[in-house]
Order: sequence, then C-alpha cells, then structure tokens
Amino acid sequence: MFTKVAMADENDNERMDGDNQKLEKMFTLKKWNAVAMWSWDVECDTCAICRVQVMDACLRCQAESKKDSYGKQDCVVVWGECNHSFHYCCMSLWVKQNNRCPLCQQEWSIQRMGK
Amino acid sequence: MITLSQRLKRRNENDNTPVPRAPIRDRLLVKEAQEMSQLLPASCSVHYPNENDLSKFTLIVQPTEGYWEGGTFRFDINVTEEYNMVPPIVKCSTKLWHPNISESGDVCLSLLRRHSVDSMGWSPIRRLNDVVWGLHALFTDLLNFEDPLNVEAADQFRHSKEEFKLKVMEYVTSYAKE
Repeated sequence: MFTKVAMADENDNERMDGDNQKLEKMFTLKKWNAVAMWSWDVECDTCAICRVQVMDACLRCQAESKKDSYGKQDCVVVWGECNHSFHYCCMSLWVKQNNRCPLCQQEWSIQRMGK
Repeated sequence: MITLSQRLKRRNENDNTPVPRAPIRDRLLVKEAQEMSQLLPASCSVHYPNENDLSKFTLIVQPTEGYWEGGTFRFDINVTEEYNMVPPIVKCSTKLWHPNISESGDVCLSLLRRHSVDSMGWSPIRRLNDVVWGLHALFTDLLNFEDPLNVEAADQFRHSKEEFKLKVMEYVTSYAKE
C-alpha cells in the first residue's frame, strides 16, 4: 500500500514538470504503520538434502534409530559459510563427491556446527 | 579453513562402517513419486513395471508440438540405492534422431551428470520431478546443442533444419509409433 502512494506522488511530480502547473495530489498520506519482522539468520530450516527439519534427526538417522549397534553420534546441524544449513550426516555424504553447497553451489566450508 | 571433506577423510580412517542407503532412497521415493505424478507435464506419463518398486519406472513422452511431434518416446529410469546423492540412471529405449540423445539411448542432460564442474550437474536438492521436466524439455524448448551426444544430428540441425526435420520424422515413423 505504501508503494502505491509513493508511485502516485512520482507521477504527479512528472506531470507538474511537464505542464508547469500545480495539480492536486491524487493521494495524500494520512496514516502509516511501520511493520517489522524477524527471522533466524539461516536461509532454511529444512535440510534440502533429506527434506527433514534440520532440528530433527535426518532421514538416515531416523531410519537407523532401531538398529543402533555402533556408537552413533547425535544428528547435528552444520552451517556453511554461505549460511545454508543441513544435517551434518547428509552433508558429509554429499561433500564426498562435490565440495559445494547444494543450494548455492559455493565452495563448501563449515561456519559452525551444533543444534 | 576447516572443510568437511578434510574432516571426513580423518573420520573415515577410523570409521569404515558401511551404511545402507536403500532405506533413505525408498523414503525419499515415497514423497517424490507422488509429487512427480501430480506435477507431470501433460504430454508425459509414468509406468511402473512393478507397483511395489518405486525405483524403476518408464517415462513416456508424447510431444504434441515440435520436431518430435507424434512420436512416443520411452525412458527407462532407474533410481539407484545411492539416491539422492547420485542422479537416477536414464536410458532412452526408443530409437530417435536427437542431438542430445544417442541412437543407443544415452541421454545428455546436465541435470543427470553425476560429476560436474559447473553448477548444472546433479545436486541432492533435485527431485524426480526435475528429472521428468528436464527430459520433457528435450522435446520442447530451444535446445543447447553445443555439446551433443549425436554429433551428426547436431551438425545437421545447425546446417539444415529441413533435412533435420525429415530425418527426425523418418525415425519417428520407423521407431516411435505406438
């Protein structure tokens, strides 16, 4: 809505320049509300590789949960320098063949790991 | 800089436990197969030889416009156990005259390239739906024949669209009629 008002103003100015006469503004701004939003500074909360929320265990760990015979670490989240996040398990498999972020194709390097 | 591959190298030295991939593939396939069938292009259909195995299916493309119009082209798609770390294996089982598909059925589609230096190759964020639309696009869009599989067909396409069109139709009539 705010944009609309701004555009009308611009058009009015143009017309004024061209015709050299004052026209009444089509819109006048009487009231406006500022709206703010926030989000975590990661671009996604679903692991794009296994399509499970990064905060949950990855598809792989979920599948293996029953036969936990070898000492398996917790399924952690890994953030790249590009700010994309994935399950560590999922990303480990992928970087074996291509050391790039699957989402933005940048060279993959770890920014941080954790939950 | 710590890279994941370095860490992995170190980790793999102590840990060589083979990890089964098939359950992951099968879980992914349940969702992806459904998504694929819902978003299928109008000229395409999918057939499963074995209803209980979502990893092997045939995609049938019947172009309604363009050079290959009127043909029925079958692609055998095999989603291997390593999916979605590797792309599905796609083979065209209908003989056709196409710069990006060899006469023996190999398909040249950047999406299906397992190892690629550019950003066009396979990535685990891709889905079956992308593969289907990629194959479908081989018959519709203006194609890039810069790096063709069938060099002869690509040259012909470049030099004489008319001759190319005739040859395509000849192949369609001989091999791609239902």
